[in-house]
Amino acid sequence: MNSIRQWGLVAERSFARIVVTLVGLGFLAVLVAGIGALLVMLRSEEHTRWVNHTYMVERHVSGIRLSLEEMRSARRGMLLGRAGGAAAYDAARRHLDAEIASAERLTQDNIVQQANVRELRGEANVLDTQYREALRGDETAHLDELARQQTAIRLIALANRMLAEERGLMKDRAEAQQATLRMFYAILGVAGVLLLFVGGASILIIVRYTRDLSHTRDELRALNTNLEGAVRVRTEDLQRANDEIQRFAYIVSHDLRAPLVNVMGFTSELEAALRPLSQLLEQVEATNPALVSADARLAVKEDLPEALGFIRASTQKMDRLINAILRLSREGRRNIAPDDVPLTPLAEGIVDGIRHLVDERGAQITVQPDMPTIFTDRLALEQVVSNLVENALKYLQPSRPGQIAILAEEAAGRIRIRIQDNGRGIDPRDHERIFDLFRRSGVQDQQGEGIGLAHVRTLAYRLGGTIGVTSQLGEGATFTIDLPARYEGDKERLA
Amino acid sequence: MTTERAVNIVMIEDDEGHARLIEKNIRRAGISNTVHHFLDGTSALHFLYEDPNGPVHNGPSLILLDLNLPDMSGTDILARIKAENSPLKRAPVVVLTTTDDKVEIQRCYDLGCNVYITKPVNYESFADAIKQLGLFLSVIQVPDPEAS
Repeated sequence: MNSIRQWGLVAERSFARIVVTLVGLGFLAVLVAGIGALLVMLRSEEHTRWVNHTYMVERHVSGIRLSLEEMRSARRGMLLGRAGGAAAYDAARRHLDAEIASAERLTQDNIVQQANVRELRGEANVLDTQYREALRGDETAHLDELARQQTAIRLIALANRMLAEERGLMKDRAEAQQATLRMFYAILGVAGVLLLFVGGASILIIVRYTRDLSHTRDELRALNTNLEGAVRVRTEDLQRANDEIQRFAYIVSHDLRAPLVNVMGFTSELEAALRPLSQLLEQVEATNPALVSADARLAVKEDLPEALGFIRASTQKMDRLINAILRLSREGRRNIAPDDVPLTPLAEGIVDGIRHLVDERGAQITVQPDMPTIFTDRLALEQVVSNLVENALKYLQPSRPGQIAILAEEAAGRIRIRIQDNGRGIDPRDHERIFDLFRRSGVQDQQGEGIGLAHVRTLAYRLGGTIGVTSQLGEGATFTIDLPARYEGDKERLA
Repeated sequence: MTTERAVNIVMIEDDEGHARLIEKNIRRAGISNTVHHFLDGTSALHFLYEDPNGPVHNGPSLILLDLNLPDMSGTDILARIKAENSPLKRAPVVVLTTTDDKVEIQRCYDLGCNVYITKPVNYESFADAIKQLGLFLSVIQVPDPEAS
């Protein structure tokens, strides 16, 4: 029993600890996965921004190339004398400046691109100057055509370099993005594995714990059933032992009577035989006193009657004791016939029965008017109560008027009957002894064999109850009988 | 005892003192019939059924029976005497014992005992009871045993 409870406690504690740990691990896994997802999301947002940025830069670089193209065609138009050529050139030129400025603004964080932009702007200015010089119609323009073309080629190359630079950056960023994603997947994977492990372990432990629990429950149930059986067996054993003692007491007391009959019988025969002997002695004494010795006279007249008297007194006492044992054992074997017994009328009846004794002793007995009703053997209970009341009456304190009270209360299926007196009391050392057969307490100034309380206790046990006493010498005594409110029967006594 | 043949008294009593006291007091009541005393059940049964001087073969008898015997219970002897086909079933049986247990008394009468007397422990009462039993014995009729 104890070990099972111990085991259960330990298992419960470790179970709770493991489950809490597992749940914690699960939360941790989810948290890590969530943080990972957030980080990846932020990174990919940034990446998108950078991709957009690259596209913007690319657009402006394309714009630069387009503007250069426009400038070139506008100049060609001017050369061919087409109307509005100068205005178109100026517009293209402005357009080129705007695009370069935009590209510069966009690539502020990139030193390489800034350098490229600066160079681009320089080359653009050079080209512009060259174009404008050519348009003024200088003859040298023809010679400079080559330089102009080279400048334009350099410009295109620069723009392409910027483009390549941006593409390179974008590639790097895409790679970084890929790495982040891979890391995210790795975290996700680890978290997933962790969750899977936690879930599996939890299920395993809960299943095992539940199995242990049901196993323990089965064991407890089996133990419980066994316990009931054990109690039944023990009760039967006790019953048997008790019956055996009763039978033993009966046989012993019964068989003791047989030799006693002989002792008493032959004592009487002796007495009868003594009578003619005594007469003879008297006759001889009357006729011839010289024949009677002093010894013979003493023997017949004093010693023999004295011896016979002691034998008789002792056998009579022994007879009373044996009869007491017989009565006790018979009480123990008597069939109990339980019935509803209202206590107040029962107590009043008992008091009425000994009224003359009460008056003679000048005592007063009060009976509680509203005592409960008990379901038990009327005769046995009557004997118990009347024995106790008679005892209380018997052992009053001569210095004060006797006050005896009969009280009863019911609690939790038990009824406690108390017989209270203000008599001479009982020494606490004797509280156990007085319930033993032939044992008495205090000054031996009252008749009795020490049987009453032993008898009362036997009856109380027989009714499934107990009896106890609280008392101090000289301060009265209270006997308490604790009986079941409903007598439950002998459970088929083993005869 | 007015039968032609003298009635034998068979006393089955394991306590010699009791037996002596019983015999003395029967005599004091004026009974002079032979008293056969047995201390145990086996020899008593042998006398009752087998002995040529026993009641089965030799005239009517009256049985004084104690219940507490060393070798068997007195009720067993009673049951045998009072059994349906026993030649002694009409012989009067006086159970004379210390037991005053109600159940035991009922059982003896059920088995067919004719008188049940509890030995008083007080000797005067005991002597009186035996004397009265003696007076009683002197007036009762005892049938012959059935021819066997």
